[in-house]
Amino acid sequence: MIEYVGIAIFFVLGAGIVGLMLFLASKLGPKKPTAVKMAPFECGKDPFDLPLGKLAVRFYLIAILFILFDVEVVFLYPWAVVYRELGMLGLAEMGVFLGILLVGFVYAWENDALEWK
Amino acid sequence: MKEQMIQGLGILHPEMILTGAALVLLLLAKRVRGTRAALGVTIAAALAAGYSAWGGASAETVSGFSGMIVQDGYSQFFEVLIAAALILGALLSAKSEPDEESTPSEYFVLLLLAATGMMLAVSATDLMTLYLGLELTTLCSYILVGLRIENPTANEAAIKYFLMGSFASALLLFGISLTYGMTSTTSYAGISAALMGQSSDPLLLMAVGLVAAGLAFKVSAVPFHSWAPDAYQGAPSPVAAFMASGPKAAGLAVIGRISIQAFESQDEMMSLILISIAALSIVVGSVLALSQTNMKRLLAYSSIAHAGYALMGLSGGTAAGAESTMTYAFFYVFMTIGAFGMIVALGERGERLDGYRGLATQRPGMAAVMLLFLLALTGIPLTAGFTAKFVVILSAVKAGEVSLAILAVLCSVISAFIYMRVAVLMYMSDPEEEVAPAAPGGMVKAALAVAALVTLVGGVLPGVLTDWAVFT
Repeated sequence: MIEYVGIAIFFVLGAGIVGLMLFLASKLGPKKPTAVKMAPFECGKDPFDLPLGKLAVRFYLIAILFILFDVEVVFLYPWAVVYRELGMLGLAEMGVFLGILLVGFVYAWENDALEWK
Repeated sequence: MKEQMIQGLGILHPEMILTGAALVLLLLAKRVRGTRAALGVTIAAALAAGYSAWGGASAETVSGFSGMIVQDGYSQFFEVLIAAALILGALLSAKSEPDEESTPSEYFVLLLLAATGMMLAVSATDLMTLYLGLELTTLCSYILVGLRIENPTANEAAIKYFLMGSFASALLLFGISLTYGMTSTTSYAGISAALMGQSSDPLLLMAVGLVAAGLAFKVSAVPFHSWAPDAYQGAPSPVAAFMASGPKAAGLAVIGRISIQAFESQDEMMSLILISIAALSIVVGSVLALSQTNMKRLLAYSSIAHAGYALMGLSGGTAAGAESTMTYAFFYVFMTIGAFGMIVALGERGERLDGYRGLATQRPGMAAVMLLFLLALTGIPLTAGFTAKFVVILSAVKAGEVSLAILAVLCSVISAFIYMRVAVLMYMSDPEEEVAPAAPGGMVKAALAVAALVTLVGGVLPGVLTDWAVFT
C-alpha cells in the first residue's frame, strides 16, 4: 500500500491548492455582479437549452478535422522519444504516416471542409 | 528491431497496395469523373493485393511487428478470398449509380479500405491489431450502407447498423480489456500461454463470452444478427453483396484463429458458445427467411443461417474443423455474391420476390444462373454449396456433435423450401411485368460468370479448390 501514498499526497495537494485559490479569489477579488456574469457559463451555447434545439452540423466537421490532427500530434510524441534508435527507417515511417494524413487534409480542403459558410 | 519492422512490412504488402490505391483515388476524387477509371484502379489494386498475398505463398509462418501480425497459410487463403470478394463487389458496382452527389471515387475508396481492414484482421495475432482491422472494416461499412442519402430506408439502415455496430465493438473491446487484465498481454500466443492450466474463472468466462459476442456480431450470427436484414435492405445492392461476403469470411477467419491460437485452453467454453450460436443461427435464419417478401432480406436471413453452418466447423476448436470452415467460407463468398449480383442485374425488380415471376420465359439465361446459385445456397449436390455443407457437417460429426449435425441437415430441408420458392416463381408462374428486364452490363455479367464458374467447379471437382484450405 505504501507506494500509493504519493498518489494520495498528490490528490490532497491538488484539492488543497485549488481550494486555496478559490477561497482567496472569493475573499480578495472585487465583486461587481451583473445578470450576465451571474448566469451559469457554458462555452459556445445557451446553458438552458432544450435538447431538441438545433446544433449546426458544421461543428461535427470541425471536430473530425480536429481529431485528424490531434491524433497526428499524439503519435509524434512517442516517436520523438525513440527517434535516435529508429534512425532513417523511423523517419521514413513517420513520413508515410504524415503523408497519409496529408492526403486526408488535401481531400478535406478540396471539398471545402475548411470554409465556414 | 529494424529487421523486425522490415520483415513486418513484407507481410503487409497486400494491405499496403490497397491503401495506396485508396489514397490515389482519394486525391483524384475531385478530378476524375465517371466510374470506369476508379473501377479500373480498384480492380488492379485488388488483383495485385491478391497476387502478393498468394505469390508469397511460402509454407513457413512469418511473424512481424513484434508478433502483431502473421503471414501463414490461413491468412494467405483468406486474403486471396477477400481480394476476390473485392473484385466481384467492384465489378457489380459498375452498373449502379450509387448516388449523384457522392462521386464514384469515394465509393471505391471505402470498398478498398474495408478490404484492407479485413486483411489486417485475418492476419492479426494480437487483439489490438484485430480490433483495428475490424473497426476499419465496420467504419467503412457504416458509410457504404447509408450511401443513398435521399433514401429513408438507407438512412434508417445506416443508423441501426451504426448503433448496433458500436455496441458490438464496445462489447469486443470490453472483452479484450478483461482478457488483458487477466493475462497482462494482448498477443494470442501470450494469452494462450498465460491461460494454460487455468480453469473456470468467472471473469475468464466473461472475457471469452464478450469477445465471442463482439465477433459473432461481425458474422451476423444469432442473437447478434438483427442488423443484417435492415442493413442489406438499405444498402445499395452491390454493397450488400460485398458486405454479406467479405466481412463475413473475415469474421469467421478471426473467430477460428482466436479460438485455436488464443483461447485454446478454454476450448470447452469456446465450443459451448460456438455450438449454441451456430445452432441458433441455423434455426432462426432458416425459419425467418420463410416469411420474407423482399429478396435482399431473404438473402440476409439466408446469410445468417450460413454463418451458423460455417461456425459448426469451428465449434470443435481443431485445425481440421477450421479447414472445413475455410472451405465453407470460400464457396459461400462466391454463391452469395452471385445471388446478390442477380439482384444488381435485375435492378429494382430484383429486390422484390414477385419480381422473379416468369423470369425464365423472359430471360432464360439469367433464370438459369440464378437457379444455380439458389441450388448452391440450398446445398444440392454438384454445386459448391453441397461440398461446403458436407465438409462442415462431417467435421461436426467427427467432433462428436451429432445432434448439431442433425439439426443442420433438418434446417437444410427447411431452407430448400425458401430457395425453391424463388425457383418456382421463376419457372412456373407468368411474368408480372410485360417488359423483360434489361440485359446486365458487361462488368456485372463478368462477376456473375466468375461466381457461377466457382460454384460449379466447387461442386463437380471440389478437390481443385478445397486443397487450398489448409490450416497452418
